[in-house]
Amino acid sequence: MNFNNVSKRIEKIKFALLSPDEIRKMSQVRVITPDTYDDDGYPIERGLMDLHMGVIEPGLKCATCGGKVDECPGHFGHIELAMPVVHIGFIKEIKTMLDSSCKACGRVKLTDEEVNTYRKTINNMSFESDDPEIIDLSLKKIIEIAVQRTICPHCSAESPKVILDKPTTFREGGIKITPKEIRERLERIPDNDLLFFGLNVSSARPGWMILTALPVPPIDVRPSITLETGERSEDDLTHKLVDIIRISQRLRESRDNGSPQLIIEDLWDLLQYHTTTYFDNQTAGIPPARHRSGRALKTLVQRLKGKEGRFRANLSGKRVNFSSRSVISPEPFLSMNEVGIPEIAARELTVPVLVNSFNVDKMREWIKRGSTPRTPAGKYLAGINYLIRPDGRRIKITDQNAEINSDRVDIGWTVERQMTEGDIVLFNRQPSLHRMSMMAHTVRVLPGLTFRFNLSDCTPYNADFDGDEMNLHVIQSEESRAEARIIMKVQEQILSPRFGGPIIGAIHDHITSLFLLTHNNPLYTEGETLHIISYIDVNKLPEPEIKDNKKYYHGRDIFSLILPEGLNAKFKSHLCSGSRGKCEYEDTIEDSYVVINNGKLIHGTIDDESVGPFSGVIVDKIFRKFGPEAASKFVDNVTRLAVGFLSYRGFSTGIKDYDIPRDAISRIEEISNETLEKINKLVDAFRSGQLQQLPGRSIEDTLEVEILSETGSVRDESGKIASSYLGLNDPSVIMARSGARAKMLNIAEVAGMVGQQSVRGGRLNRGYANRTLSHFKENDLSAYARGFIKSSYRSGLNPTEYFFHSIGGREGLVDIAVRTSRSGYMQRRLINAFEDLKVDDERRVQDTVGSMVQFKYGEDGIDPTRSDEGETVDVDYVAYDEFGD
Amino acid sequence: MKSLLWKDTKANIKKIAENAPCYYGIDYIPEGKVNSGYITADKTNFEFEVKISSVKEFKKSDEILLKKKTGLKSIIKIESIRKLDKIPLSDFKLNENINEIKTFAEGERFIVKYREKDELTLSPDQKEIIDDAVSRGFDIPVSLANKLIKYKKSLSDDKYEKLLKRVDLELKKREIDPYEAVGIIAAQSIGEPGTQMTMRTFHFAGVVEMNVTLGLPRLIEIVDARRIPSTPSMVIYLTEKYKHDEDRVRELIKNLENTAIIDVADIITDVGEMNLTVKLDKLKSNDRLVTLTDVISALEKIKGIIYNQVDDERILIKLQQESFKKLYQVQEQLKITPIKGVNKINRAIARLDPKENAWIIYTQGSNLKDVLNMEGVDATRTYTNDIIEVENVLGVEAARNAIYREAENTLSEQGLNVDKRHLMLVSDMMTFSGAVRAVGRQGISGRKSSVLARAAFEITSKHLLKAGLLGEIDPLAGVAENIIVGQPVTLGTGAIDLVYKGNKK
Repeated sequence: MNFNNVSKRIEKIKFALLSPDEIRKMSQVRVITPDTYDDDGYPIERGLMDLHMGVIEPGLKCATCGGKVDECPGHFGHIELAMPVVHIGFIKEIKTMLDSSCKACGRVKLTDEEVNTYRKTINNMSFESDDPEIIDLSLKKIIEIAVQRTICPHCSAESPKVILDKPTTFREGGIKITPKEIRERLERIPDNDLLFFGLNVSSARPGWMILTALPVPPIDVRPSITLETGERSEDDLTHKLVDIIRISQRLRESRDNGSPQLIIEDLWDLLQYHTTTYFDNQTAGIPPARHRSGRALKTLVQRLKGKEGRFRANLSGKRVNFSSRSVISPEPFLSMNEVGIPEIAARELTVPVLVNSFNVDKMREWIKRGSTPRTPAGKYLAGINYLIRPDGRRIKITDQNAEINSDRVDIGWTVERQMTEGDIVLFNRQPSLHRMSMMAHTVRVLPGLTFRFNLSDCTPYNADFDGDEMNLHVIQSEESRAEARIIMKVQEQILSPRFGGPIIGAIHDHITSLFLLTHNNPLYTEGETLHIISYIDVNKLPEPEIKDNKKYYHGRDIFSLILPEGLNAKFKSHLCSGSRGKCEYEDTIEDSYVVINNGKLIHGTIDDESVGPFSGVIVDKIFRKFGPEAASKFVDNVTRLAVGFLSYRGFSTGIKDYDIPRDAISRIEEISNETLEKINKLVDAFRSGQLQQLPGRSIEDTLEVEILSETGSVRDESGKIASSYLGLNDPSVIMARSGARAKMLNIAEVAGMVGQQSVRGGRLNRGYANRTLSHFKENDLSAYARGFIKSSYRSGLNPTEYFFHSIGGREGLVDIAVRTSRSGYMQRRLINAFEDLKVDDERRVQDTVGSMVQFKYGEDGIDPTRSDEGETVDVDYVAYDEFGD
Repeated sequence: MKSLLWKDTKANIKKIAENAPCYYGIDYIPEGKVNSGYITADKTNFEFEVKISSVKEFKKSDEILLKKKTGLKSIIKIESIRKLDKIPLSDFKLNENINEIKTFAEGERFIVKYREKDELTLSPDQKEIIDDAVSRGFDIPVSLANKLIKYKKSLSDDKYEKLLKRVDLELKKREIDPYEAVGIIAAQSIGEPGTQMTMRTFHFAGVVEMNVTLGLPRLIEIVDARRIPSTPSMVIYLTEKYKHDEDRVRELIKNLENTAIIDVADIITDVGEMNLTVKLDKLKSNDRLVTLTDVISALEKIKGIIYNQVDDERILIKLQQESFKKLYQVQEQLKITPIKGVNKINRAIARLDPKENAWIIYTQGSNLKDVLNMEGVDATRTYTNDIIEVENVLGVEAARNAIYREAENTLSEQGLNVDKRHLMLVSDMMTFSGAVRAVGRQGISGRKSSVLARAAFEITSKHLLKAGLLGEIDPLAGVAENIIVGQPVTLGTGAIDLVYKGNKK
């Protein structure tokens, strides 16, 4: 083992200003020509593309280090400015320094006494540990004293007020101070006084805030590109540097041959403008420098700033190799820990294998197979794409060179192997809102072109299959693979840290299926049972019930097959807990309570509450008692059993499900007419001033509130009528009551009445002048004119109703659009503020600097993931599990 | 349990250590039962703990191995002595308020497990459960005591012991892993459901006109630590004397609501006659419980006018010195003349709370300081949703609880299930510095110690330039900065270093 491979860490980074001397020292070339390439396309010497600053063209060698493209890291050059200019980033600091120091002697305008006392206070502050904000404030207070003083306490000279004429001109008593003078003044401030500005003498001197020499960044930082036409196009920075050199040259010439002061000053200002925009092209008060095409140039600050800037786009997050993206689709016969990937992706994505004495023979064998091997039956086999020699050179494996290379490969080489079944990969769907948005799966290579996974993984990823795409990353290092397997695997993420319950579970049809299988405990013949059980991984049959010499099996017993032995649970099913008010099964404990005793479903209906995400009591209990392995096995079996049973039984829904008898329809009609009448009465009362005003409400508001409560109750009423005719043999009711999809409210909307549409919590009232649509009279306050829909979805909406419905629907859409951006920003801020917190060995919470935030995490030191929905320990369940009832 | 505290010389302590167990004569009579003691050599820090097995009155005939002084009063038997890390005197709750030990004192050592807080809230039953568990060797958190009571009563003793054992095991299994990135988990747990929250700003919280910002906007407001929330409001609980008395409540409301004349009356200006008429609006004034007498007494404060009551709803106002300018001024002044009420409280409404079976006042607008000073207000429970106000009036610990409570209410009102530990972490992080800090640029993120982390968040160039000027050093301790330089972060599996050295050949 090579001990030199132990990675080193950067301990710290120190920031400082570059002094003109330093700029010259680190420069490899003084750039004097504002041009880039000569007519032959060769870099001009001492030009902006001088070979001393690095190479971007293949074939050329760097004049400084001799490296070729990719070898040479690039080197700085510099420009000697003809006249000094101010650095735009330090305008504020320059201003305070000019304000607070004496024009004549350079001392900060504080008396010796003040200097002594404040020096002590400043020395007592620690720049590392104290709140930077507080340090800032106290420094400002001290400086303010000096700024206010006009007469220097040391030499009694008077300093007139300095005015900053934005963005870069300083005036004193109306007369401009040139950067040269500013520099002289700043230089004059003695070192001892610099501490009042918070300046660190070892890293920055005030004079350096005025530029006399400008560093020219390496060519790699501002590469020129060659367009298809053969034309060269320079980087924005190069353009800006050309401007600076050109003006600097003209300024120097003018100055040297004694041009009028006015011309020199104009040129000087121009040089200031160009250097300012070179640093920041969005400086307030000056027009941004533009490209010939009219586009504003992207200069230094713009390169770093914002979402597309260097920091957020290239440093905090990077584009990576060994990844792929495709459309996703469902595959219930995969385990929740697996992901199906298409062959084309498997052949492209590789895993590096270090050749050692144990695998060298196997690797040689594999290399011989070439890059697209298959079994004789045509099944996918992993091939080899590249070999990496110990010196780092890559060799691409083709069918032609496979044989030769297999002999050359030896211990110490690295083989880049294609993906194979069982490899561990990371799978991710954006937006990655929580840690379950990126989980580790094991690979299955499948035909087709989409990524596939078990439906129970939809919830953590928040994925559906209407065209969603997901990303897949192949892990490249052994350490990461181990971490992924132990920490990130799907089965390890079953419990959500948000609420300490399962976030993975059966959805939609799977819930419907188990509901049908267990509700009322139906009987199935031996044949049927065997068919259903053939889908799951069990090798025993439940106890049969013998009738007429034939074997029958109970649905609940079939479900019990996938429960682990030793599991105990007792809870209310969704069928009952989901409905408001009293449920019709409340008294028949048989149906409302799920009781599992030693891995056997005694009674109760399996539905969302048992196996669904967010609730899934059974999944939760299995995970806690038997661990992630057992929980994942259970969920896999649930999906298979559900699919197996439902494909046998069949399940479908349609418009027919919502048919209700004629007299029910007329009863709904009746109550809706009653309501309309009531509303009309209310409106009449309002018009005649008879309406009883609610306290604290205007009379108009009172009317609206009254009407809204009327329309609300009529919708509920009609829903009740409609659903009283729809029982548990109705597919959509089954879906709603089992928690598979939709609520009873939605069924009421389809069969009964859609009800009042609303915008911002009130009835519709905008559109035309004093009316919603031109179909109504102005100021019509009746139900129909303000968005009441008496039709059901089943009967169909009339044109005005349809229009109102769209208005109500749009609010939802707008809401979602606004919400996602707002909550996204909130989450970014939260993460940024909290990312540094960790639990230490004693379960205290500290940030990485060492500030103590909590003395015991969450006041009890318990992991929310492992808590019982937030509770430290569910004593009742523990007692039940231990002793039974 | 009380302990005996005393000062002793180093030589004596050494002697005890050599001779223990031994009898030790002291010139002090302990008040209660003691079975432990702490000895200090420097009067303030305790370095030795002794186990005391018995205390008895001194009799001449007793044989004493060691003694402190002459004039002995009692004898203690010291079983063992143990050296400790220094414990300051402040870790003890003493009978007398002293800050150094001259000879003897008795005191109780604080056990740092929020004992003080618990003592106030725990019932005797719960205390019994905990003491019982401790005597059996289990460290059961306070929150479980309530649930265990039932089982302590119903289960046989060995079964109960078995249950405790299992609970203890569960507790150990559930402890959070060291180096867990709890901050990120908390941020994700609060941010992720944000996408599911409603944007609807207003919600009628059951009480007319009292609308409260809810959902995502409110959550953002909380983490922003906004100076003034968009809908400040208070819940005022009343003292025993007031809470069942409707008349008193009515009176209180009247004194709460900040009402100006314009809120209850119309002001009619007659330029020709050079007078003003204040006409009380029946509806409005009834609603705000204002009578004409109240208006008249408010008028007393205005100088330079003569007022007369015309009938039971009108007051005629004349000027002492007639001038149009003055007339106009008085008219404007009348509008804003306060009749009664507390500043910033715009509306107050009482509701008979069925759960409490008492009147509770809800207000729009918030002024915690003044309301707490009012008679009849139960200052221990009265609450405002203005976090900054809570901080100013009650301090940062109260603000921490207010943040937690507000966030919790906002989320649960939306039906979102978020573990309380995440919310606690957020509120602690926002307040641990001693003042409420916002989440974001001006708050927590803007004061990170790392230049790179600040630059990566917002206002990149400012931070970089300033860092150069100040010569800042980035210690690369946090997450963002390590990602930027391409190193493993110092959380989770990155927090530990493990190197396999292999067998040396």
